[in-house]
Amino acid sequence: MTLDRNAVQRIAELAEIAVTEEELPTLAAQLDRIVDYVAQLEGYDGGDELPGFLPGPSQTPLRPDVVNPVPLTRGPATLAPAWRQGYFVVPRVAGMDDPA
Amino acid sequence: MSVREIATEVGQKLEAASGLNATLHWSAGDLRHQAEVVEAMGRSALGGMPVAVKDNIATLGTPTTCGSRILEGYESPFEATVIRRLREAGALIAAKTNLDEFAMGSSTEHSAFGRVLHPIDPARVPGGSSGGSAALVAAGVVPAALGSETGGSVRQPASFCGVVGVKPSYGAVSRYGLVAFGSSLDCVSVFGRTVDDAARVLHTISGHDPLDATSLDRPPVAMPMGRKNFSGLTIGLPEEYFPSDLDSGVRAATDRAVAAIRDLGGKVVPVSLPHSRFAVPTYYIIAPAEASANLARYDGVRYGPSRPDTAVDLRGLYRQTRGRGFGPEVRRRILTGTYVLSSGYYDAYYGKAQRMRSAIAADFQGVFAGGVDLLFTPTTPSTAFKAGEKTDDPVAMYLADIFVCAVNLAGLPGVSVAIGRSEGLPVGGQFIAPYLEDTLMLEAAGVLERNLPATEEVR
Amino acid sequence: MSWETVVGLEVHVQLATRSKMFCGCAAIFGEEPNTNVCPVCLGLPGALPVPNAEAVRLGVRAALALGCTIHGTSIFSRKNYFYPDLPKGYQISQFDRPLATGGQLRIVSPERGEMAVGITRLHLEEDAGKLLHDRFPGMTAVDLNRAGIPLAEIVSEPDMRSPAEARAYLTAMKQVLLYAGISDCSMEQGSLRVDANVSVRRVGETELGTKTEIKNLNSFANVERALEAERDRQIQVLESGGRVTQVTMLYDAAVGQARPMRSKEASHDYRYFPEPDLPPLVLAPVWVEQERAALPELPDAKRVRLGQSYGLSDYDTGVLSSEVALADYFELVVGAGADPKTAANWVMSEVMTGYNETGVFAVQPGRLAALIRLVADGTVSLQAAKKVYLELQGEDDPRVVAKRLGLIQVRDPGALEAWVDEVIAACPAEVTRFRGGEEKLLGFLVGQVMKRSQGKADPKGVQPVLLRRLRG
Repeated sequence: MTLDRNAVQRIAELAEIAVTEEELPTLAAQLDRIVDYVAQLEGYDGGDELPGFLPGPSQTPLRPDVVNPVPLTRGPATLAPAWRQGYFVVPRVAGMDDPA
Repeated sequence: MSVREIATEVGQKLEAASGLNATLHWSAGDLRHQAEVVEAMGRSALGGMPVAVKDNIATLGTPTTCGSRILEGYESPFEATVIRRLREAGALIAAKTNLDEFAMGSSTEHSAFGRVLHPIDPARVPGGSSGGSAALVAAGVVPAALGSETGGSVRQPASFCGVVGVKPSYGAVSRYGLVAFGSSLDCVSVFGRTVDDAARVLHTISGHDPLDATSLDRPPVAMPMGRKNFSGLTIGLPEEYFPSDLDSGVRAATDRAVAAIRDLGGKVVPVSLPHSRFAVPTYYIIAPAEASANLARYDGVRYGPSRPDTAVDLRGLYRQTRGRGFGPEVRRRILTGTYVLSSGYYDAYYGKAQRMRSAIAADFQGVFAGGVDLLFTPTTPSTAFKAGEKTDDPVAMYLADIFVCAVNLAGLPGVSVAIGRSEGLPVGGQFIAPYLEDTLMLEAAGVLERNLPATEEVR
Repeated sequence: MSWETVVGLEVHVQLATRSKMFCGCAAIFGEEPNTNVCPVCLGLPGALPVPNAEAVRLGVRAALALGCTIHGTSIFSRKNYFYPDLPKGYQISQFDRPLATGGQLRIVSPERGEMAVGITRLHLEEDAGKLLHDRFPGMTAVDLNRAGIPLAEIVSEPDMRSPAEARAYLTAMKQVLLYAGISDCSMEQGSLRVDANVSVRRVGETELGTKTEIKNLNSFANVERALEAERDRQIQVLESGGRVTQVTMLYDAAVGQARPMRSKEASHDYRYFPEPDLPPLVLAPVWVEQERAALPELPDAKRVRLGQSYGLSDYDTGVLSSEVALADYFELVVGAGADPKTAANWVMSEVMTGYNETGVFAVQPGRLAALIRLVADGTVSLQAAKKVYLELQGEDDPRVVAKRLGLIQVRDPGALEAWVDEVIAACPAEVTRFRGGEEKLLGFLVGQVMKRSQGKADPKGVQPVLLRRLRG
């Protein structure tokens, strides 16, 4: 077993996804299956000299430095799940104070 | 028909087809309003053509949910470039269609809003992730629809549903406004009742977009000119796509199609793409890895139906929002992706997969450089499977992509056309073209479409 | 037992562009929160980044000014972590293929004198938004105006050996970056931010000790103080037999101490991978060379040239070149005909007193040069000239102002003779003593003439007249 429940717990924390105790065993088994499947690639020896491949343009275009934002049809206030006086608000981040 | 009449008719057809659960949002009022706008334009390139749009493409005035609870009710404040271009060409955006959540899946069973039914056999799946768009075109509701491909999500459902599915060369169509899943793989793609319908839409939406840094600096994909036959073309059949245990109905249909290609003057040659067997596992490393980062923005802070002011703490906000908002397939992909990128595993998985991707791309380049103009293969290893058949084992579903996802990894254009029926269910065959040879591929698809009875039983 | 301190610094500097790094939003400050935002910097579904050409150019300029090697091809990467100021849940940065590597910054270390600090790398990235923790009780407020502003991250080699050296590095870094014109470099406004890494080891050891990282530093002085405190803390820990744990600390300026962040927050697995939305950043060699040629004269070069061209001391050139505007002003004054050394003195005293880094000077260089000439030719005394300087505005002619203030020195022989005669008459004892051989009293008598003339007599003219009368 490549991925046990502890490993899955850690990955879920990194990905900030809550996984309940009940879900954990099944999820661990499924992820283990998936990782075993994709680990077939380990059997492949060659190609170490090949660079990574990404299709599309070979170099990035650059934007001229002008102020021309894509306009929003509605402001962020209309999208925000929680909004106060112009700010998005979230539960207070622990251990932080505003700079003096 | 006037555009208003087209709009009315589409509304009636959408209503009649509602049992398919193929749509997530549409309204007769919106269709009427759009029709008025198009009529006021006077002449237009698409003249009121109704086009359905997969619900992972941002539209104004209707929600864009990506088939997920985490975006339930989300109305985008900007519109995708492809939608803007369609509107400017006089198209009607007929409806937002159902999909596997965040485009992750091959059956549209992973939508948070219920599965889509296959138009011919409701016990079966239409394929995925763009199942809703495929079903609407197959059911005759709209002549064309937008979907998206990351690992075959338009060609595969096109094959299952018996319609045309076109994946363009990566970069030919702007991704601005397509909700990202696997950024280096994602392509807005097109369903059509006919090759011509699909080509018209593709021509309209393609071409350089300064808002997308991965968009090619090229003009729109040219329309096919109605080629008569395959003479002068060499068509390669990659042996890895014709395994001995291929479904007999699929084999019969592809054999008939290959015979037709020969009869129509094409030179058919066997070729090999030796790294084909690594395509699916490579895809299922790269796509989830990119997805794990692309879906990190769904944290409940700036949009979506979470309640930050009632969460206990920040971590709780993130974990509950995402734990409850993402379905099981999306969760599995994000966790897989997080794992393969994590410290200590990057080289073994992601690093290796990127190199394997080079090898897969090189396979195709080598074959095309050796005098082959196009490849022809079955699109899917089977006809549409039954709902629930593949949802127990996540890997079982992955194998539905076995003939399509190498094309996405290599960034190549591919098109699926209906090449017959097996026990009443559609079979698809695909052409794969060299990078940027989208129009040539459409020409070939058109020839086959005009010469092969698509709904004929092959067995 | 002797300890050695090892310091490395990471500087984040906001590049002076009009728009953000990956979108067309305005890159300005002081606006209402969340008003300079768009789909890209809000991280909305479907948005895509496109890099800012000017940010690239300024990044290259900064790297060239620091003597770095520019990499013709560099790659953007995603740095993945969750935080409310990070809209996409990842930052677009550069990881294993940065824009530039291998430069150096010459500094003057208080302990070791002139030396070079290595620059490991310079790369481009986007800034995060701003968080306010005390605005609403129990909540953190998020403002994304700053999200997406272009940053250059500059990482030094761990070459510094004291907190004071670290401060000298920052001073020199700021000067170079200001000269190169790439940023405002203001820690107070947040356009320059510093993270410091510090470790200690016994003198003679080659292995580096465990380092701690200090963030949230808001001034060069606090950097020095924070490093001193942390160095002392680490030494104390090690001397009492303990071990230094690798932590990230946040500096609290109010109490003058750094306290550790909760270690779980501090340790991140960033899962870097190449940014799939951005093809490689490719720079044409010809273009890089053009940027190199277009670099303004940098502080070191300017110091050397000023010293050589104008025969000035190291101290003088150091002060004059502390800001480009000052050095340029000085050269304009000399160009308008003033003696270099005199001009330097004027710039370092009168001019600098009234100047506050705005690039705007109270007195035009030509006017100052004219005033200096008035002193040189004896029309006004130096004291008088300083008064005239304070009154000069705009197109004023210094001579006219001096006259208006009654400060023109009197050289008319008749007037001088009159004052001299008055003094001779008023100080018979001193006159007798002078005539008796006490030549020292000449100074006193000249001073008396000056007093009688209320400072208006030209001292250079007074002396010969006085001598003539005294020797009579």
